[in-house]
Formats: sequence, C-alpha cells, structure tokens
Amino acid sequence: MSLLRATGIHAGYGGADILRGAELEVAANEIAVIVGPNGAGKSTLMKAVFGLAAVHEGSITFDGSAITNHAPDRLVRGGLSYVPQERNVFASLTVSENLDMGAFTRRDDTTADRERIFSIFPDLADKRRQPAGQLSGGQRQMVAIGRALMVRPRLLMLDEPTAGLSPKFVDQIFERIAAIRDEGVAVLMVEQNARRALHAADRGFVLVNGQTRFADTGDALLRNREVAEAFLGGAGP
Amino acid sequence: MIEIAQLLVFGVVLGGIIALGAVGVSLLFGILRFAHFAHGDMMTLGAYIAFFFAATLGLPLYFAFPIAIVATIAIAVAIDQVLYRRLRRTAPVILLFSSFGMALILRSVVEMIFGPDTVVYDNAIRLPWTVAGLRIKPDHVVILAGTALLVAALHLFLRHTRTGKAMRAMADDPDLARVSGINTERVIVWTWVIGGGLAAAAGMFLALDTRLVPLMGWHILLPVFAAAILGGIGNPYGAILGGLAIGIATELSTLILPPVYKPAVAFLVIVAMLIWRPTGLFAGR
Amino acid sequence: MELPGLLSFLVFFVTFAGLYGVFALGLNVQWGISGQFNLGVHAFWAVGAYTSAILTTEPGGAHLGGFGLPMIAGLAAAMILCALLAVLVGLITVNLRTDYLAIATIGIAEVVRLVLKNEAWLTNGVRGIPGIPRPFAELGGDAPALVFLAIVALALGLVYAALEILRRSPWGRVQRALREDEAAAGAAGKNVTGFRLQSFVLGAAIMGLGGGLYAHFFAFISPEAFDPLITTFVVWVMLIAGGSGNNLGAVVGAFVIWGIWSGSGFLTELLPIEFQTRAGSLRILLIGILLQIILLTRPEGLIPEETAPRRKSGGG
Repeated sequence: MSLLRATGIHAGYGGADILRGAELEVAANEIAVIVGPNGAGKSTLMKAVFGLAAVHEGSITFDGSAITNHAPDRLVRGGLSYVPQERNVFASLTVSENLDMGAFTRRDDTTADRERIFSIFPDLADKRRQPAGQLSGGQRQMVAIGRALMVRPRLLMLDEPTAGLSPKFVDQIFERIAAIRDEGVAVLMVEQNARRALHAADRGFVLVNGQTRFADTGDALLRNREVAEAFLGGAGP
Repeated sequence: MIEIAQLLVFGVVLGGIIALGAVGVSLLFGILRFAHFAHGDMMTLGAYIAFFFAATLGLPLYFAFPIAIVATIAIAVAIDQVLYRRLRRTAPVILLFSSFGMALILRSVVEMIFGPDTVVYDNAIRLPWTVAGLRIKPDHVVILAGTALLVAALHLFLRHTRTGKAMRAMADDPDLARVSGINTERVIVWTWVIGGGLAAAAGMFLALDTRLVPLMGWHILLPVFAAAILGGIGNPYGAILGGLAIGIATELSTLILPPVYKPAVAFLVIVAMLIWRPTGLFAGR
Repeated sequence: MELPGLLSFLVFFVTFAGLYGVFALGLNVQWGISGQFNLGVHAFWAVGAYTSAILTTEPGGAHLGGFGLPMIAGLAAAMILCALLAVLVGLITVNLRTDYLAIATIGIAEVVRLVLKNEAWLTNGVRGIPGIPRPFAELGGDAPALVFLAIVALALGLVYAALEILRRSPWGRVQRALREDEAAAGAAGKNVTGFRLQSFVLGAAIMGLGGGLYAHFFAFISPEAFDPLITTFVVWVMLIAGGSGNNLGAVVGAFVIWGIWSGSGFLTELLPIEFQTRAGSLRILLIGILLQIILLTRPEGLIPEETAPRRKSGGG
C-alpha cells in the first residue's frame, strides 16, 4: 500500500530536464532512500515531489491523490514535510521558535509535540532558547528535522541529512530516523552515504542520469553486485 | 558639554523617526528582497493624511494620527496587491524601479492635493521646557513616547504572535519559510501593514518635529536606508539601533561640519558600511 | 532668420530630445552593458554642466570661473571631470549588488547636489551661473538654435556610432560575456571589476558631455535644474520604455518619452486656470503611472534586446 508514488517523472528547473523518467514508491511505515552518483538528480527528484522543481511529465500521488506540481504549503497541510540539505534552520530564531515555525499550519496546541521533539533529540532540550545559528552542524540538523516533524507528517523527506556531520552525529541521526519510522512516520531520504543508508533502509532507489536504474529492498541492493561495484564503491562506512 | 547633550536630544528624536522608517524598510528588504524606494514618500503620505484630518477637518491630532496610520496601511497593502504582487516573479530590478516610480506617484498626488508650500499641523507655539539645562519641546516628548510605544508593540508582535514569528522566519530565509508551510502571501501583507503603519507614524512625527512639505519623505529616505543597512537587512531590532545611531551622528556632525551637510552623514555611513561590513553591524542577512 | 512658431518649437523639441538621447546612451553603457543601476545620473549631469559653464563663462561672477574658453574645451573638460568622478564613485560601487548600488549612487548624487548648492565660491550657489555662451549667438534670430540642433545631432550621432562600434569590438564581447555569466568570466581570468569600472566611467563621460551641452543650450544653470525628477528619473523611463540594453532603444525612448512629456505639457495647458499650478505634479503623476504600465506589460521596452541579460541582480 504505497503512500507516495512517483512515475515517469521528467522535471527540471527551467532549461533541460534533469530527471528523465525517474520513479519511486514509499509505503507507510518504511524508510526509503535514494542513492546514486553526483548529478544523478537525487535532490531534484525530492524537490520535484515537493513542488520545488517543475514537473513536465509524469505523475506524483500521495495517499492516492495527485500532488504533481502542488505548492509547498499545500503539501505540508496534506501530510508531507521536507528538510532541505542546506539552510534548513532559521538561524536568527531560537530552537523553540524554529519548531513553532514547523507547526505554523497547525492551529491546535503544539506544546506536547514540541516536548516530543525534545525527547527524540535530547541534546536540544537545554538549548531551546538559543538561536539556531549558534548550534553545531549536528544540532542544527536535529532542529531541522524537528521542525519538519512538528506538523505531524505522514511522510518525512530528508535531503542528505548526514552531509558534513561528524561520525557521532551520523550515527545519532540514523538512529533517530529509525525511531521516527517506528513511530509511524514514513521517511524518504536522499543520501550520499549510500552503503550506510541502504543498510538502514527498507527500500532503495538507485538514480543514474535522471532515471531510476534499480529499485529493491535495501538489503537486496547491497547484495546486488552491479550496484555495489558501480555505485557504492569500495570505500564507505 | 551642554551643547553635546542638547545635540544628543535632537539626535535621539531624529533617530527615533528614522528608526520607525528603517524597521519597515528592513523587513520589506528582508522579506520581499527589494529596496523600497517609495518608503520615504509613504511617510510623506501618512503625514499629509493626518494633516487633512487635523487641519482641514479640524480633528484633534490624537484622532488624526491613528486614522492616518490606518489609511496609510490600507494604501500600502493596496499598492502591493495591485502592483508589486504582479511584479514579484520578475527580476528584482523591476520591483526596485517600480517602487522608485511609486515614490514619484505618491509625491505628486500629495503635491497636487495639498500644494508645494510648507504647512504645519497647527500654528500653536509650544514653548520648549528646560530640563537640566536642556531645551526639550513638548513635541519631542510626544515623539519619543510614541516611538517607544510603537517599538514595544512591534517587539511583542514579533516575539509572541504566530504571524510575527513567521515574519522573522521569512526575513531570515524566505525559501525555508515556504517549505515549512508558512503562508507567504499572508506574511507579505502583514509586512506591508507593519511597514506602512510605522512609515505613517514616522512621517507624522517628522512633521510634528519640523513641518510638512512634499519632499519631506524623500529627504529622509537616505538616512532610513542607511539605518536599515547599518542594522543588517531583515533585522528589525538592528534597524532601530541603526536609526538611533544615524540620528545621533547626524546631529553631532554639526560640531564639525556646516549644518547644510547633515544629509551627507547618512551617506557616509552607507558608504562605510558597504565597503567594510555590508551585512550590517549586527550580522543581519 | 526667423522660423515660424511651430518650426521653432520643433527645433527646440528635437534638440532637447537629442540631448536626452545622449544621456540615455550614457546610462545604457552603465546599465545595458554592465548592469549597473545608477540612480545618480543627475550628479554627472550637473558636474558636466557646471564644469563647462565655469570654464567658458566670462570673468565677473563672484565664483570660480571667467576662463572664457571655447565650448569645445568646456565639453572636453566636462567629460574628463565626470570620468574622474566616476572612477572615485566606481571604486566604491562597482561590485555592489543592484539595490545597494542604487542607494549608494543616490547618496553620492545627494552629496554632489549639496556641494553645488552650498559652495558658492565654486558654483555661485543657488544663484546659478548665467551667461553661458551659445555658439554663433551673434548670428541672431533662430540661427543659433539651428546651429545648436546640428551640434546636438552631431554629438548624438558620434556617441551612437562610437557605442555601436564598441559593442561589436572585443571589449564589447567581453562585457557581454561578463553579463551572461560573471562567475565563468571571472574564472576565465577576466578582470571583472576593471571592466565594470570602465563601462561605468565611459557612461559617466557621455553624461558629462550631455551635461555640458545642456549648459550651453540653456545659457543658465542653477542647482534646481538638476532635480532628480527631471533628470535621473526621466532618463531611466526613457531607457526602460525604449528598450534597455540597446543603443537604438535608448535614443528611441528618449524621443518617445520626451514627446509624451511635451504632449502632457500641452494637455495641462488646456486645464482650467486653477489647476495650472499643479500641472507639474500632474505630469509627473502621468509619467509615473505610464512607467508602472510599461513595467507591468512590456518591461523589455519598445525595442527589445536580442538576448536578455541573466544578470545576478539584487535580491539574491
């Protein structure tokens, strides 16, 4: 029963299309990752889902309804949430205020959710009044994810959540993502850290040159000789 | 020494007026990403609307002021929805130039209706008080109190209301704000409400301190921009401090420069900031 | 010789339009070639005018002057002084993003105006400089006007030709490349700052020429004549209406907008007498509204460029 489904996507930012027939599918309660070489269009695919890149062909559905080219704030209200790779916190706002911004579309009392975020990310609990710009990279990433969770999404989309983080934080982030999935939120991630990501994933999509070349469970992709040689390289954690 | 203190008094009054204008410019610059060249003339508009209700219709000033603020807000929002909104998707230069043209439109309307000559709210002579050797006009007290009140209200709005926080978020990062689901068009309208309202207040205070003349807003536009840049674009608190700094610097400059060159002080500040620290003293955007 | 009224007016119209054309061409060098949003045109206009005036008037004023040099020397000096001013200004502004550049140029123009108004030893302050010589004034009648028309036409033609040649030259190609993709051009080793400064200075020199011609056209200048409304703003509207980024557009825009401005002058003369005093503001209002309409409907102007620039303007 797929929550999110994208088929035959041709999309770009004006100029030539970066995605030429990309596809993916995410079921509820699972972690799906998009991996692939640089320039394959991984971020673009995520942006295309979230209405930040123009989709010229293909369709995207969420919970059965079409969401192709819908505006971001509409998608947020529909249960999608997105964390960009860079500039993903409001640097001049405090941690608490960042979380409030995540809950902007909600009209009800969000205190309980805010406390939940602080229990998922205990490191942030004593920093709630600090401007987010003063935190370390790893802590900022937690704020960014926390912000996206405040809207109680059914699908959380993360663009390279571990980019530039120290190994300690990388471990923590992956741990937290698993916990988030266990709480009933589906997760879609773009990850540079392909090996690690596929290990943690229920499902993986390998994107090459704007197209989905391989789609399978995380373990199956890890065992796939072709995928391992061409895209996972010999190195990596 | 007394002379310096007196200049400081003038400087703080002028600084308050500039600060009110600079907050609006800073928020508009940060959220809508363009230099609002019509801001000075929006101040002029507010001042003259108050003049209409006060001098022409004979209402007391404390009625005319709030009415003028509301009227200016309405006009500011209308201009945005009718004109700037259509230009948002085009190159930012077009918005800049459109606002430059809007400045002229506002100014010429004011001049057409009220004429080019100097006017004042009322001709009552209010003698200055002498406090600790300093001359303080009653108008100065009104301006300072009014400015303090508006700044406090602004602070409460930005810190404790949903829309206020969303405004700060948008000024910080408009793209992330969109991604977070913030209704950006609503926040933009609120930005014009704040910007227009504060501009009207600044214009009225300026008219109270000096007089009304169609070019009054245009002449203070440069100091307003200077204050916004000094405080960091998108940082309303920085804009307030920047305004006070510019006001004080302008008045103190008369100790070494001929008074006719007072306007040059703001320009020097702009140049210094742009060369040395374009992001502003308080690390704005 | 005397010309019938209409013809006389036409001569005035075409001369003044041609003068504006020179300014529009100068501004186009700064904006069209290198994307520099100069809102301080009136500063260069004034400096050019005052330079030529000071150098060519006869002795007798309480201010600097009385050199009595021929007009051509005045014009040359006007161009040089404007170029120098542009170098000073450019060093500050040349790498600023558009919004900041606009603000900075307005500030500079303000300072220039303050100096012109207050340093009476230099400029005679608000009293202005009268008696600026007109070439062939001794011919009498309308002949000097025709001569001046010829001079302006010549100047406009020379500037236009020179700019067209420049456009096709290697220098012009580098400028176009810079406009398309500054980062790439910079990486390719081109001195971005240097090229932008050159274009800024060249544009300013042309404005200086216009300013000098203006002074000799009206024979009297004062700081009031350089109000940013009838100078900077109008020239910008001309450039945008005609088609910013190309020289022909600049000249066409000058004539068209000057035509509309003059036309509005005629229309307001038809108004009842009570409205006459407000006629000036009404005309500005009309031009302002016209500008908004242009920006909303056809921002590329009457004569669009072949390829629009992808310049990284302010707001990025």
